[in-house]
Amino acid sequence: MPKQHTVAPFSVFSLGAFFLSQLVFPVHAAALMGFEDSAMLMTEIGRYNQEWMLNYSPALGQAIGVEQMRMSGKGEHATTITGINYTGLIKRWNLPSAQANIWFNGSVGEAKGQYDGFAYTPSVQFDMESTRLYFLAKARMIRAPGMNYDTAAVQSGFSFYEAGFDETQPWFVIEAKTMRNNDPGLQVTPALRLINKNYFLEFGVTNPWQGEGFAPRLNAMFVF
Amino acid sequence: MKKLLITLMLTVMAPAAFAVTTLKAEVNGMVCAFCAKGIEKKLKALPEGQAAFVDLKSRVVAFQLKDGQTLTDETFNKVIQDAGYSVTKVERVSQTVAEIQAQLAKSGKEGGK
Repeated sequence: MPKQHTVAPFSVFSLGAFFLSQLVFPVHAAALMGFEDSAMLMTEIGRYNQEWMLNYSPALGQAIGVEQMRMSGKGEHATTITGINYTGLIKRWNLPSAQANIWFNGSVGEAKGQYDGFAYTPSVQFDMESTRLYFLAKARMIRAPGMNYDTAAVQSGFSFYEAGFDETQPWFVIEAKTMRNNDPGLQVTPALRLINKNYFLEFGVTNPWQGEGFAPRLNAMFVF
Repeated sequence: MKKLLITLMLTVMAPAAFAVTTLKAEVNGMVCAFCAKGIEKKLKALPEGQAAFVDLKSRVVAFQLKDGQTLTDETFNKVIQDAGYSVTKVERVSQTVAEIQAQLAKSGKEGGK
């Protein structure tokens, strides 16, 4: 059993508080599902984590799909979790020029690789966004027998300018994320995000930002 | 005299027959095009529609009806609400969607302009 190492949650909360303190009003979009009767494809390709999910939303606030995620801890072989995923909108606040959401998301499935067996990944996400500012906080359990890759993350960002509905809007976003048994324990990823009505693309680089540890990361979402 | 009466009747009726009706809503919660795409897609799927327009900055959703078509405010509201947003005000205006767009662009309220 590899030695577990964790980053104190305090550092994540401190970063979150710092980002919040820098914002007049927190901001933009990380919808975990499309609109009613739509399908959404999401993917993350990075050095530390690869993941894709395809879900279908039969009704507002509900989506079901399939998810596959692959990750490896410090000094470990990779583990792949394949499962059925559910996303639920717990609460939404629609404000005049902003929106806030609380989401539940989770998969149940099978882990294979370094760890094998029944896997589950429940998570809770809170996000607030306007057309110019964005904040997100997320906690996720990623468990299988003998495996604990629990994560906590905060993201914050701003758009360079307000865009029309048919235009592409560029954002600068920075994420701080901890994952148990991963190296580095605190992953910081500054990223450029492009949002269009048809796609959501984000390209960032996770620390360390040079040498052998150079770790580019791509996130993409498409809704059909 | 008969021709005069017909001409008068046509003159009176013509503006009504070709009047533009656009439903215009003020919407809360629209902050990103990727998330609000559902509104446009659902409105464009309605057979009564001539054109649809979503603007994030002014928080406006406009839906121009085809000539002779009708749509209740409730149906219009439901499309927006089912996409996850809140309608705070709906009005019927005689402007086309293009005219509303131009007006917003002129007043500097349309996003990206």
